[in-house]
Amino acid sequence: MFDKILFATTGTPICDNAAHVAFDIAKKYNSNLLMFHVLGMPSRGFSTVVKDIRTGEVEQYDTDYISWVKEELKNTYEKYLKDSSSCDIQAIAGVPATEILRKARQHNADLIVMGAHSRQEETGAARYRGAVGTNMQHVARGARCPVLIVSRPCTTCLWYFSNIVFGTDFSKASFSAFLFASKLAKEIGSKLYIFHALDMGAVLAGKVLSQEDVEARIQEARKKIEKIYLPHLRDYDNFQIDIWEGIPYVEILKYSRAKNADLIVMAHHTKEVEPDQAILGGTVEQVVLRASCPVASVNHPDKVSG
Amino acid sequence: MPEGIFCNRTPINTVEALHTLLADKSGKTYYAEMNALEVDRAALKATLDKTCKSRIRTWLEICAHCGMCADSCFFYLANNKDPKQVPSYKIQSTLGQIVKKNGDVDNAFMQMVMDTAWGKCTCCNRCGMYCPFGIDMGVMFGYLRGLCYSQGFVPWELKIGAGMHRIYRAQMDVTSEDWVDTCQWMAEENEEDWPGLEIPVDKEDADIIYTVNAREPKHYPEDLAEAAILFHIAGENWTVPSVGWEETSLAMFAGDWEACKLQVQAVYDAMERLKPKRMVVTECGHAYRATVIEGPYWAGLKSGKTPVPSFHYVEWVAEALRTGKLKIDPSKRIKEPVTYQDSCNYIRNAGLKECAREIMSYIAEDFREMSPNKEHNFCCGGGGGMNGLGRYREQRNIGLKVKRDQILATGAKLVVSPCHNCWDAIRDLEEVYHVGIRWSFLKPLLLKMVIVPDHLKSEE
Repeated sequence: MFDKILFATTGTPICDNAAHVAFDIAKKYNSNLLMFHVLGMPSRGFSTVVKDIRTGEVEQYDTDYISWVKEELKNTYEKYLKDSSSCDIQAIAGVPATEILRKARQHNADLIVMGAHSRQEETGAARYRGAVGTNMQHVARGARCPVLIVSRPCTTCLWYFSNIVFGTDFSKASFSAFLFASKLAKEIGSKLYIFHALDMGAVLAGKVLSQEDVEARIQEARKKIEKIYLPHLRDYDNFQIDIWEGIPYVEILKYSRAKNADLIVMAHHTKEVEPDQAILGGTVEQVVLRASCPVASVNHPDKVSG
Repeated sequence: MPEGIFCNRTPINTVEALHTLLADKSGKTYYAEMNALEVDRAALKATLDKTCKSRIRTWLEICAHCGMCADSCFFYLANNKDPKQVPSYKIQSTLGQIVKKNGDVDNAFMQMVMDTAWGKCTCCNRCGMYCPFGIDMGVMFGYLRGLCYSQGFVPWELKIGAGMHRIYRAQMDVTSEDWVDTCQWMAEENEEDWPGLEIPVDKEDADIIYTVNAREPKHYPEDLAEAAILFHIAGENWTVPSVGWEETSLAMFAGDWEACKLQVQAVYDAMERLKPKRMVVTECGHAYRATVIEGPYWAGLKSGKTPVPSFHYVEWVAEALRTGKLKIDPSKRIKEPVTYQDSCNYIRNAGLKECAREIMSYIAEDFREMSPNKEHNFCCGGGGGMNGLGRYREQRNIGLKVKRDQILATGAKLVVSPCHNCWDAIRDLEEVYHVGIRWSFLKPLLLKMVIVPDHLKSEE
């Protein structure tokens, strides 16, 4: 399932929780783990220096510097590395999201694990905050494999994974997310919650919806789930379907807490927005930042079908 | 010690030599060794005899020291009108002396020459426009850089840069495989949003062969994707070559003429091999100057022209807008005040000023010209390789003041800058002086406002 895991880290505390989950999963699934760090932003024009992502300092990009950064990473993650059988460390200059996607593609990764890399992070490199802020969004959208985003300590992750919540908006990308969630559930034997939130904000658009209308729409969504997803579960019966109404990200967060979820699986296919608005962007961003369990963003069928 | 291990007269031709030089952090040992580098006077004299012809000798001779060039130089203006920054002084005290002494100069003199040729001039050629005799000091500084390079007196970064071209035929370590793989990757990444999108490699007889700046595949591959999407929307029959895709020339900045020739020859070979109708290069200024304006002479092409007609990206965009291949949604045009950075290399030195104005008339509602502008515009402050030279960083930052004040005077907060080095210099001036401006290439702006024909839209 997860032969090759790419753990993309900023090397800062924001990725501590992600590191914990990445090493745990690698251990459990006996995966080959690649720790990958993008160390500095290069210029557009001619230059041999990069701006260090963590410190904001200008550094000469050469083998010395790369070795030093790798050494730092080794120290930072020492407690995990000493228990890890196979973990390669690589560091490179570039735009973080671009290099993470390039590496995942070259490495043929089955899973990317990363921190939320949000604008809440204090990197000291204020100039690049915009780039860092959209990082997660860019990677989640472009990656061909599932992207597991961990922003907070996972309190329910005792055994990866026992309760999987799959949130759908019935988009094409959501189907890829479903393929991943169901495949994982079947392999591990975990409970699969198929969830849809009726978006009251979007549905209402100024008019008041009667209770009958709401219920009719809920029925409609249930039928859709039964038609689109259930045939693919075949004889797997450890699942449950629920449809709640409200603001999607609030409902999915409430639902996953109620079900003690240790993994939320969603698609992240919204168009990219301006860096300044990214933090308030789509449902996924909100879920990622607030969920108390890892969130897997899956948008392409490449690594999850079959 | 006649020549050092790092600092010597031998160009970088192997990966090993390149890595060795790169490992010398910031060129510390390199510059230390330079203090002991002997000038090969006989070789310098021989080069002068062979290459310093009547044009340069006449220019040096007829300069009347009138000082008309002084105010044309942004370094002179930015440095409180320091007489040592007057272009005629800068060239007379360097190349003028070398010619006068017929190459009989010493190490200290050559280091002063290097610091002048790269630290006090960006080869923007603006001074040449204001000389009553038509003396082009930019051209002479280019020539002077070549003399310095042949003697080993060249900034560390540019020795590396020229070496990159010699080894990879690109300014960065991007191999042909890396390049083709990046093309495939970008096509894959965007095929869902843009059904039918392709980045055709080595397609023969295409209408357009597209060439780039190596920084794009190396660090900013989305630039390539954006170019592909715009060609796709415009319905162009285009291709990229697997070899000969890089148009830039740090070798030109370094004065390494042999590497310059190797570099452009790779591009011309691709033209001959794939027989496209024409070539379009990405939004890069010096790449165009190197490959389209200077290159044919380096390669010894008698016509003085590239094997197929060659266009800068702004020429293609202006044409696409004019002919309706690209249509702009009027409601999405840039509403805020916006200005345009005329790059020296394709505006002053190649005459494409009207293309830029034509583009702005389609995409902007409140276009503000800088003053001066077009062929009279000042260099961004980072041209001629200066952005990347650690040794002259401070001088560069002082020089940026002129561009800063020009931009501020327009009242615009957005600067359209279709040139990699201008883009960097403007980014850096914001970083140094915090004036609250933004800057952009054309491609991302166009993609936000272009009308996508229905048959090219994705389902979702």
